[in-house]
Amino acid sequence: MASHKPMLRSLGGNRRVCRNLFGPVDRDQLRIEYQAALREDLDEVSKRWGFDFKSDKPLESSDFKWEGIPETGVPLLYRSCVLAVGQSEGLRLADRVVLTKRVRMEKENIPQTPEKCAMELEGLERTPEKGDKAGLKRKQTNITDFYQTKRRVVWMPRKSGE
Amino acid sequence: MELYCLESDTAVKAQSDPNILYDERVLQSLLTIEDSFLPQCSYFQQVQKDIQPYMRRKVAGWMHEVCEAENTNQDVFPLAINYLDRFLAVMPTRKNYLQLLGAVCIFLAAKLKDCRPLSAEKLCVYTDNSITPRELLDWELVVLGKLKWNMASVIPNDFIEHIMRRLPLPKDKQAMVRKHSLTFIALCATDDCLAMNPPSMIATGSMAAAICGLQLDHNDQRLSRDDLMDLLAKITSTEVDCLRACQEQIERVLASSLQQGQQYRPDTGVRGGSKSREQQDQSSTPTDVRDVNL
Repeated sequence: MASHKPMLRSLGGNRRVCRNLFGPVDRDQLRIEYQAALREDLDEVSKRWGFDFKSDKPLESSDFKWEGIPETGVPLLYRSCVLAVGQSEGLRLADRVVLTKRVRMEKENIPQTPEKCAMELEGLERTPEKGDKAGLKRKQTNITDFYQTKRRVVWMPRKSGE
Repeated sequence: MELYCLESDTAVKAQSDPNILYDERVLQSLLTIEDSFLPQCSYFQQVQKDIQPYMRRKVAGWMHEVCEAENTNQDVFPLAINYLDRFLAVMPTRKNYLQLLGAVCIFLAAKLKDCRPLSAEKLCVYTDNSITPRELLDWELVVLGKLKWNMASVIPNDFIEHIMRRLPLPKDKQAMVRKHSLTFIALCATDDCLAMNPPSMIATGSMAAAICGLQLDHNDQRLSRDDLMDLLAKITSTEVDCLRACQEQIERVLASSLQQGQQYRPDTGVRGGSKSREQQDQSSTPTDVRDVNL
Protein backbone atom coordinates (compact mmCIF):
# COMPACT_ATOMS: atom_id res chain seq x y z
CA MET A 1 0.00 0.00 0.00
CA ALA A 2 2.88 2.29 0.76
CA SER A 3 3.63 2.69 -2.91
CA HIS A 4 0.20 4.20 -3.53
CA LYS A 5 0.62 6.98 -1.04
CA PRO A 6 2.29 9.53 -3.29
CA MET A 7 -0.37 8.89 -5.90
CA LEU A 8 -3.10 9.37 -3.35
CA ARG A 9 -1.62 12.65 -2.37
CA SER A 10 -1.64 13.74 -5.98
CA LEU A 11 -5.35 12.98 -6.02
CA GLY A 12 -5.83 15.87 -3.69
CA GLY A 13 -5.39 14.04 -0.44
CA ASN A 14 -8.89 12.73 -0.77
CA ARG A 15 -8.50 9.33 0.75
CA ARG A 16 -12.07 8.70 1.74
CA VAL A 17 -13.11 8.48 -1.88
CA CYS A 18 -10.53 5.77 -2.52
CA ARG A 19 -12.35 2.74 -1.29
CA ASN A 20 -13.49 -0.67 -2.36
CA LEU A 21 -17.28 -0.84 -2.21
CA PHE A 22 -18.23 -4.46 -2.70
CA GLY A 23 -15.31 -6.60 -1.66
CA PRO A 24 -12.64 -8.33 -3.71
CA VAL A 25 -13.13 -9.04 -7.40
CA ASP A 26 -12.58 -12.59 -8.64
CA ARG A 27 -10.01 -11.91 -11.35
CA ASP A 28 -10.33 -15.22 -13.22
CA GLN A 29 -14.09 -15.08 -13.19
CA LEU A 30 -13.98 -11.50 -14.41
CA ARG A 31 -11.72 -12.50 -17.29
CA ILE A 32 -14.04 -15.35 -18.28
CA GLU A 33 -17.08 -13.11 -18.22
CA TYR A 34 -15.27 -10.43 -20.17
CA GLN A 35 -14.45 -12.89 -22.92
CA ALA A 36 -17.98 -14.27 -22.86
CA ALA A 37 -19.40 -10.77 -23.18
CA LEU A 38 -17.17 -9.97 -26.14
CA ARG A 39 -18.04 -13.26 -27.80
CA GLU A 40 -21.71 -12.50 -27.33
CA ASP A 41 -21.26 -9.10 -28.96
CA LEU A 42 -19.36 -10.63 -31.84
CA ASP A 43 -22.05 -13.28 -32.38
CA GLU A 44 -24.64 -10.58 -32.43
CA VAL A 45 -22.90 -8.49 -35.08
CA SER A 46 -22.09 -11.64 -37.05
CA LYS A 47 -25.76 -12.41 -37.21
CA ARG A 48 -26.65 -8.85 -38.06
CA TRP A 49 -24.20 -8.52 -40.92
CA GLY A 50 -24.19 -12.14 -42.04
CA PHE A 51 -20.43 -12.26 -41.71
CA ASP A 52 -18.14 -14.39 -39.58
CA PHE A 53 -15.59 -11.88 -38.33
CA LYS A 54 -13.36 -14.56 -36.81
CA SER A 55 -12.70 -16.38 -40.04
CA ASP A 56 -13.32 -13.29 -42.17
CA LYS A 57 -15.84 -15.09 -44.31
CA PRO A 58 -19.47 -14.40 -45.14
CA LEU A 59 -22.02 -16.65 -43.47
CA GLU A 60 -24.04 -19.08 -45.54
CA SER A 61 -27.34 -17.49 -44.68
CA SER A 62 -27.11 -13.76 -44.95
CA ASP A 63 -29.21 -10.79 -45.95
CA PHE A 64 -26.16 -9.28 -47.56
CA LYS A 65 -24.15 -10.27 -50.58
CA TRP A 66 -20.48 -10.02 -49.75
CA GLU A 67 -17.82 -9.37 -52.33
CA GLY A 68 -14.09 -9.68 -51.80
CA ILE A 69 -11.87 -6.77 -52.83
CA PRO A 70 -8.09 -6.53 -52.66
CA GLU A 71 -6.82 -5.09 -49.43
CA THR A 72 -4.95 -2.33 -51.21
CA GLY A 73 -8.32 -1.00 -52.32
CA VAL A 74 -9.44 -0.05 -48.84
CA PRO A 75 -8.13 2.65 -46.53
CA LEU A 76 -5.35 1.62 -44.18
CA LEU A 77 -7.66 1.82 -41.21
CA TYR A 78 -9.74 -1.13 -42.39
CA ARG A 79 -6.92 -3.54 -43.13
CA SER A 80 -6.43 -6.63 -41.07
CA CYS A 81 -3.49 -5.73 -38.98
CA VAL A 82 -3.59 -4.27 -35.55
CA LEU A 83 -1.13 -1.60 -34.75
CA ALA A 84 -0.31 -1.23 -31.12
CA VAL A 85 0.95 2.29 -31.02
CA GLY A 86 3.04 3.14 -28.02
CA GLN A 87 0.88 4.99 -25.55
CA SER A 88 3.62 6.94 -23.92
CA GLU A 89 4.85 9.97 -25.74
CA GLY A 90 8.48 8.97 -25.52
CA LEU A 91 8.10 5.86 -27.60
CA ARG A 92 9.82 6.20 -30.95
CA LEU A 93 8.30 5.04 -34.17
CA ALA A 94 10.79 2.22 -34.50
CA ASP A 95 9.72 0.79 -31.16
CA ARG A 96 6.15 0.45 -32.18
CA VAL A 97 4.97 -3.09 -32.49
CA VAL A 98 2.89 -4.40 -35.28
CA LEU A 99 0.72 -7.28 -34.25
CA THR A 100 -0.29 -9.59 -36.99
CA LYS A 101 -2.51 -12.01 -35.17
CA ARG A 102 -5.35 -11.81 -37.62
CA VAL A 103 -3.19 -11.66 -40.66
CA ARG A 104 -1.56 -14.95 -39.77
CA MET A 105 -4.86 -16.69 -40.31
CA GLU A 106 -5.24 -17.98 -43.82
CA LYS A 107 -6.61 -15.55 -46.27
CA GLU A 108 -6.81 -16.04 -49.94
CA ASN A 109 -7.02 -12.50 -51.16
CA ILE A 110 -4.28 -10.53 -49.50
CA PRO A 111 -1.56 -9.46 -51.85
CA GLN A 112 0.17 -7.54 -49.10
CA THR A 113 2.40 -8.75 -46.32
CA PRO A 114 2.02 -7.31 -42.85
CA GLU A 115 5.54 -5.88 -43.01
CA LYS A 116 4.68 -3.80 -46.03
CA CYS A 117 1.63 -2.58 -44.28
CA ALA A 118 3.67 -1.61 -41.26
CA MET A 119 6.06 0.43 -43.36
CA GLU A 120 3.25 2.35 -44.90
CA LEU A 121 1.86 3.07 -41.51
CA GLU A 122 5.18 4.41 -40.41
CA GLY A 123 5.20 6.75 -43.33
CA LEU A 124 1.73 7.94 -42.55
CA GLU A 125 2.31 8.37 -38.88
CA ARG A 126 5.44 10.43 -39.31
CA THR A 127 5.17 13.66 -37.43
CA PRO A 128 7.14 16.78 -38.29
CA GLU A 129 10.89 16.32 -37.79
CA LYS A 130 11.01 18.61 -34.84
CA GLY A 131 8.90 16.21 -32.79
CA ASP A 132 11.17 13.28 -33.67
CA LYS A 133 14.34 15.05 -32.74
CA ALA A 134 12.91 16.32 -29.53
CA GLY A 135 12.70 12.74 -28.38
CA LEU A 136 11.31 12.41 -24.89
CA LYS A 137 10.46 16.01 -24.26
CA ARG A 138 7.70 17.19 -26.48
CA LYS A 139 7.91 20.76 -27.50
CA GLN A 140 4.87 22.73 -28.42
CA THR A 141 4.77 22.97 -32.19
CA ASN A 142 4.52 26.28 -33.88
CA ILE A 143 2.19 26.86 -36.74
CA THR A 144 5.26 27.65 -38.81
CA ASP A 145 6.32 23.99 -38.47
CA PHE A 146 3.52 23.14 -40.84
CA TYR A 147 3.22 26.20 -43.03
CA GLN A 148 5.80 28.57 -44.33
CA THR A 149 5.45 32.07 -43.14
CA LYS A 150 4.51 34.45 -45.86
CA ARG A 151 4.85 38.13 -45.81
CA ARG A 152 1.43 39.67 -45.99
CA VAL A 153 0.87 42.37 -48.51
CA VAL A 154 -1.23 45.03 -46.96
CA TRP A 155 -3.42 46.98 -49.30
CA MET A 156 -5.54 48.65 -46.76
CA PRO A 157 -4.13 51.08 -44.26
CA ARG A 158 -3.86 49.35 -40.90
CA LYS A 159 -6.11 50.34 -38.10
CA SER A 160 -4.37 51.82 -35.18
CA GLY A 161 -3.44 49.25 -32.63
CA GLU A 162 -3.21 46.40 -35.14
CA MET B 1 5.13 36.31 -36.15
CA GLU B 2 4.74 34.64 -32.78
CA LEU B 3 1.69 32.85 -31.48
CA TYR B 4 1.23 32.78 -27.78
CA CYS B 5 -0.66 30.13 -25.90
CA LEU B 6 -2.46 31.56 -22.95
CA GLU B 7 -4.14 28.36 -21.86
CA SER B 8 -3.86 27.54 -18.20
CA ASP B 9 -4.82 24.52 -16.17
CA THR B 10 -8.27 25.79 -15.39
CA ALA B 11 -10.79 24.57 -17.91
CA VAL B 12 -12.36 27.38 -19.86
CA LYS B 13 -15.94 26.63 -20.72
CA ALA B 14 -17.41 27.63 -24.02
CA GLN B 15 -20.17 30.18 -23.93
CA SER B 16 -23.62 29.00 -24.86
CA ASP B 17 -24.22 29.17 -28.56
CA PRO B 18 -27.26 31.34 -29.43
CA ASN B 19 -27.67 29.42 -32.68
CA ILE B 20 -28.40 26.32 -30.64
CA LEU B 21 -30.17 27.97 -27.76
CA TYR B 22 -32.58 30.12 -29.75
CA ASP B 23 -33.53 27.55 -32.34
CA GLU B 24 -36.86 25.94 -31.49
CA ARG B 25 -35.90 22.76 -33.27
CA VAL B 26 -33.16 21.92 -30.78
CA LEU B 27 -35.47 21.54 -27.80
CA GLN B 28 -37.96 19.66 -29.95
CA SER B 29 -35.28 17.28 -31.16
CA LEU B 30 -34.02 16.69 -27.64
CA LEU B 31 -37.56 15.85 -26.53
CA THR B 32 -38.03 13.53 -29.49
CA ILE B 33 -34.86 11.51 -29.06
CA GLU B 34 -34.50 11.47 -25.28
CA ASP B 35 -36.53 8.28 -24.78
CA SER B 36 -34.13 6.25 -26.87
CA PHE B 37 -31.45 6.78 -24.23
CA LEU B 38 -33.50 5.55 -21.29
CA PRO B 39 -32.73 2.17 -19.70
CA GLN B 40 -34.85 -0.42 -21.43
CA CYS B 41 -36.52 -1.72 -18.31
CA SER B 42 -36.63 -1.46 -14.57
CA TYR B 43 -33.73 -3.82 -14.12
CA PHE B 44 -33.85 -4.71 -10.43
CA GLN B 45 -36.86 -6.94 -11.00
CA GLN B 46 -36.25 -8.07 -14.55
CA VAL B 47 -32.53 -8.41 -15.17
CA GLN B 48 -30.42 -8.31 -12.07
CA LYS B 49 -30.28 -11.11 -9.52
CA ASP B 50 -27.35 -9.98 -7.44
CA ILE B 51 -27.80 -6.22 -7.46
CA GLN B 52 -30.14 -4.44 -5.06
CA PRO B 53 -31.31 -0.81 -5.21
CA TYR B 54 -29.14 0.15 -2.22
CA MET B 55 -26.06 -1.05 -4.12
CA ARG B 56 -26.86 1.26 -6.97
CA ARG B 57 -27.18 4.13 -4.51
CA LYS B 58 -23.84 3.16 -3.01
CA VAL B 59 -21.97 3.02 -6.31
CA ALA B 60 -23.71 6.17 -7.56
CA GLY B 61 -22.69 8.01 -4.40
CA TRP B 62 -19.11 6.90 -4.87
CA MET B 63 -19.17 7.92 -8.54
CA HIS B 64 -20.38 11.35 -7.54
CA GLU B 65 -17.58 11.68 -5.00
CA VAL B 66 -15.01 10.74 -7.63
CA CYS B 67 -16.41 13.29 -10.07
CA GLU B 68 -16.40 15.91 -7.36
CA ALA B 69 -12.87 15.10 -6.24
CA GLU B 70 -11.69 15.29 -9.82
CA ASN B 71 -13.74 18.39 -10.47
CA THR B 72 -15.08 16.95 -13.70
CA ASN B 73 -17.45 18.76 -16.00
CA GLN B 74 -21.00 18.82 -14.63
CA ASP B 75 -22.27 16.60 -17.41
CA VAL B 76 -19.90 13.75 -16.61
CA PHE B 77 -21.69 12.37 -13.58
CA PRO B 78 -25.27 12.23 -14.96
CA LEU B 79 -23.94 10.82 -18.21
CA ALA B 80 -21.96 8.13 -16.39
CA ILE B 81 -25.09 7.17 -14.45
CA ASN B 82 -27.02 6.96 -17.71
CA TYR B 83 -24.42 4.48 -19.01
CA LEU B 84 -24.59 2.51 -15.76
CA ASP B 85 -28.37 2.18 -15.86
CA ARG B 86 -28.47 1.30 -19.52
CA PHE B 87 -25.82 -1.36 -19.04
CA LEU B 88 -27.53 -2.87 -16.01
CA ALA B 89 -30.80 -2.99 -17.94
CA VAL B 90 -29.30 -5.33 -20.54
CA MET B 91 -26.65 -7.34 -18.73
CA PRO B 92 -26.92 -9.32 -15.50
CA THR B 93 -23.95 -8.25 -13.40
CA ARG B 94 -22.37 -9.46 -10.17
CA LYS B 95 -22.32 -6.99 -7.35
CA ASN B 96 -18.53 -7.32 -7.10
CA TYR B 97 -18.26 -5.86 -10.58
CA LEU B 98 -20.48 -2.90 -9.86
CA GLN B 99 -17.66 -0.60 -8.84
CA LEU B 100 -15.62 -1.61 -11.88
CA LEU B 101 -18.65 -0.79 -13.98
CA GLY B 102 -19.07 2.56 -12.25
CA ALA B 103 -15.43 3.41 -12.92
CA VAL B 104 -15.77 2.42 -16.59
CA CYS B 105 -18.84 4.63 -16.92
CA ILE B 106 -17.02 7.64 -15.46
CA PHE B 107 -14.07 6.88 -17.72
CA LEU B 108 -16.28 6.91 -20.81
CA ALA B 109 -18.36 9.91 -19.80
CA ALA B 110 -15.24 11.94 -19.02
CA LYS B 111 -13.85 11.11 -22.44
CA LEU B 112 -17.00 12.46 -24.02
CA LYS B 113 -17.62 15.54 -21.90
CA ASP B 114 -14.47 16.63 -20.15
CA CYS B 115 -11.64 18.54 -21.71
CA ARG B 116 -9.26 16.67 -19.41
CA PRO B 117 -10.34 13.04 -19.43
CA LEU B 118 -9.58 10.93 -16.37
CA SER B 119 -6.88 8.32 -16.65
CA ALA B 120 -7.62 4.65 -16.11
CA GLU B 121 -4.88 4.50 -13.49
CA LYS B 122 -6.41 7.28 -11.46
CA LEU B 123 -9.82 5.67 -11.49
CA CYS B 124 -8.31 2.41 -10.29
CA VAL B 125 -6.76 4.20 -7.35
CA TYR B 126 -10.22 5.49 -6.48
CA THR B 127 -11.42 1.89 -6.23
CA ASP B 128 -8.61 1.33 -3.74
CA ASN B 129 -6.91 -0.65 -6.50
CA SER B 130 -9.52 -3.36 -6.36
CA ILE B 131 -9.46 -3.27 -10.15
CA THR B 132 -6.57 -2.94 -12.59
CA PRO B 133 -6.30 -0.51 -15.51
CA ARG B 134 -6.26 -3.53 -17.84
CA GLU B 135 -9.61 -4.70 -16.49
CA LEU B 136 -11.01 -1.21 -16.76
CA LEU B 137 -10.00 -0.97 -20.42
CA ASP B 138 -11.33 -4.46 -21.13
CA TRP B 139 -14.70 -3.64 -19.65
CA GLU B 140 -14.78 -0.35 -21.43
CA LEU B 141 -15.17 -2.36 -24.60
CA VAL B 142 -17.88 -4.52 -23.08
CA VAL B 143 -19.86 -1.47 -21.97
CA LEU B 144 -19.47 0.17 -25.37
CA GLY B 145 -20.71 -3.01 -27.03
CA LYS B 146 -23.72 -3.36 -24.75
CA LEU B 147 -24.66 0.29 -25.25
CA LYS B 148 -24.21 -0.20 -29.01
CA TRP B 149 -21.68 2.62 -29.04
CA ASN B 150 -24.54 5.04 -28.49
CA MET B 151 -22.70 7.26 -26.10
CA ALA B 152 -24.05 10.74 -26.79
CA SER B 153 -27.04 10.30 -24.49
CA VAL B 154 -29.49 13.08 -23.80
CA ILE B 155 -29.16 13.99 -20.12
CA PRO B 156 -31.16 16.36 -17.93
CA ASN B 157 -28.37 18.96 -18.11
CA ASP B 158 -29.03 19.34 -21.83
CA PHE B 159 -32.42 20.90 -21.10
CA ILE B 160 -31.43 23.41 -18.46
CA GLU B 161 -30.54 26.35 -20.70
CA HIS B 162 -33.44 25.71 -23.03
CA ILE B 163 -35.96 25.71 -20.21
CA MET B 164 -34.34 28.57 -18.36
CA ARG B 165 -34.46 31.03 -21.19
CA ARG B 166 -38.19 30.40 -21.56
CA LEU B 167 -38.92 31.28 -17.94
CA PRO B 168 -39.44 34.81 -16.59
CA LEU B 169 -36.45 34.59 -14.27
CA PRO B 170 -34.79 37.72 -12.94
CA LYS B 171 -31.34 38.04 -14.50
CA ASP B 172 -29.50 38.16 -11.20
CA LYS B 173 -31.04 34.87 -10.06
CA GLN B 174 -30.28 32.85 -13.16
CA ALA B 175 -26.86 31.67 -12.10
CA MET B 176 -28.20 30.43 -8.80
CA VAL B 177 -31.20 28.69 -10.34
CA ARG B 178 -28.84 26.98 -12.77
CA LYS B 179 -26.54 25.89 -10.00
CA HIS B 180 -29.30 24.55 -7.79
CA SER B 181 -30.95 22.77 -10.70
CA LEU B 182 -27.70 21.03 -11.60
CA THR B 183 -27.19 20.02 -7.97
CA PHE B 184 -30.68 18.53 -7.85
CA ILE B 185 -30.11 16.73 -11.13
CA ALA B 186 -26.99 15.12 -9.68
CA LEU B 187 -28.99 14.18 -6.62
CA CYS B 188 -31.68 12.60 -8.80
CA ALA B 189 -29.03 10.55 -10.56
CA THR B 190 -28.02 8.95 -7.27
CA ASP B 191 -31.62 7.94 -6.59
CA ASP B 192 -32.75 4.66 -8.13
CA CYS B 193 -36.47 5.54 -8.10
CA LEU B 194 -35.96 8.42 -10.52
CA ALA B 195 -33.78 6.51 -12.96
CA MET B 196 -36.62 5.66 -15.34
CA ASN B 197 -37.86 9.23 -15.76
CA PRO B 198 -37.03 10.94 -19.02
CA PRO B 199 -34.24 13.52 -18.71
CA SER B 200 -36.57 16.41 -19.59
CA MET B 201 -38.77 15.45 -16.66
CA ILE B 202 -35.81 15.36 -14.27
CA ALA B 203 -34.59 18.71 -15.59
CA THR B 204 -38.01 20.32 -15.29
CA GLY B 205 -38.65 18.89 -11.84
CA SER B 206 -35.21 19.95 -10.63
CA MET B 207 -35.67 23.44 -11.95
CA ALA B 208 -39.10 23.72 -10.36
CA ALA B 209 -37.68 22.52 -7.05
CA ALA B 210 -34.85 25.02 -7.35
CA ILE B 211 -37.16 27.96 -8.10
CA CYS B 212 -39.58 27.03 -5.32
CA GLY B 213 -36.68 26.50 -2.95
CA LEU B 214 -35.28 29.93 -3.73
CA GLN B 215 -38.76 31.44 -3.22
CA LEU B 216 -38.58 33.44 -6.40
CA ASP B 217 -42.37 33.63 -6.46
CA HIS B 218 -42.26 36.34 -3.79
CA ASN B 219 -41.51 38.88 -6.46
CA ASP B 220 -43.22 37.34 -9.44
CA GLN B 221 -46.59 35.62 -9.38
CA ARG B 222 -45.72 33.77 -12.58
CA LEU B 223 -43.17 31.76 -10.63
CA SER B 224 -45.61 30.54 -8.02
CA ARG B 225 -45.84 26.77 -7.72
CA ASP B 226 -48.97 26.23 -9.83
CA ASP B 227 -48.27 28.81 -12.50
CA LEU B 228 -44.72 27.57 -12.81
CA MET B 229 -45.93 24.00 -13.27
CA ASP B 230 -48.25 25.04 -16.09
CA LEU B 231 -45.51 26.98 -17.77
CA LEU B 232 -42.96 24.19 -17.46
CA ALA B 233 -45.43 21.59 -18.69
CA LYS B 234 -46.06 23.72 -21.75
CA ILE B 235 -42.35 24.15 -22.46
CA THR B 236 -41.55 20.44 -22.37
CA SER B 237 -45.00 19.27 -23.57
CA THR B 238 -45.63 17.07 -20.56
CA GLU B 239 -48.60 16.43 -18.30
CA VAL B 240 -48.80 18.77 -15.32
CA ASP B 241 -49.60 15.83 -13.03
CA CYS B 242 -46.51 13.86 -14.07
CA LEU B 243 -44.41 16.91 -13.58
CA ARG B 244 -45.80 17.64 -10.16
CA ALA B 245 -45.28 14.03 -9.08
CA CYS B 246 -41.70 14.22 -10.28
CA GLN B 247 -41.03 17.47 -8.46
CA GLU B 248 -42.48 16.06 -5.26
CA GLN B 249 -40.31 12.95 -5.58
CA ILE B 250 -37.25 15.15 -6.08
CA GLU B 251 -38.15 17.17 -3.01
CA ARG B 252 -38.54 13.96 -1.00
CA VAL B 253 -35.12 12.76 -2.13
CA LEU B 254 -33.71 16.15 -1.28
CA ALA B 255 -35.28 16.13 2.18
CA SER B 256 -34.00 12.67 3.03
CA SER B 257 -30.59 13.58 1.73
CA LEU B 258 -30.59 16.68 3.92
CA GLN B 259 -31.42 14.53 6.92
CA GLN B 260 -28.57 12.16 6.14
CA GLY B 261 -26.28 15.09 5.64
CA GLN B 262 -27.06 16.28 9.12
CA GLN B 263 -26.45 12.86 10.63
CA TYR B 264 -23.08 12.36 9.02
CA ARG B 265 -21.91 15.90 9.04
CA PRO B 266 -18.87 15.53 11.31
CA ASP B 267 -16.90 13.37 8.92
CA THR B 268 -17.57 15.24 5.71
CA GLY B 269 -14.41 17.25 5.92
CA VAL B 270 -13.79 16.29 2.33
CA ARG B 271 -16.37 18.70 1.10
CA GLY B 272 -15.39 21.49 3.44
CA GLY B 273 -13.95 23.52 0.63
CA SER B 274 -16.91 23.40 -1.69
CA LYS B 275 -19.32 23.85 1.19
CA SER B 276 -17.84 27.07 2.41
CA ARG B 277 -17.80 28.31 -1.13
CA GLU B 278 -21.47 27.56 -1.52
CA GLN B 279 -22.30 29.12 1.80
CA GLN B 280 -21.64 32.55 0.44
CA ASP B 281 -24.18 32.50 -2.31
CA GLN B 282 -26.82 30.13 -1.06
CA SER B 283 -27.68 31.68 2.25
CA SER B 284 -31.17 32.47 1.03
CA THR B 285 -31.99 28.87 0.19
CA PRO B 286 -34.63 27.47 2.53
CA THR B 287 -34.00 23.87 1.49
CA ASP B 288 -30.46 24.13 2.59
CA VAL B 289 -28.37 22.82 -0.26
CA ARG B 290 -25.24 23.44 1.72
CA ASP B 291 -25.93 20.36 3.74
CA VAL B 292 -26.69 18.05 0.88
CA ASN B 293 -24.49 15.05 1.28
CA LEU B 294 -24.61 13.60 -2.20
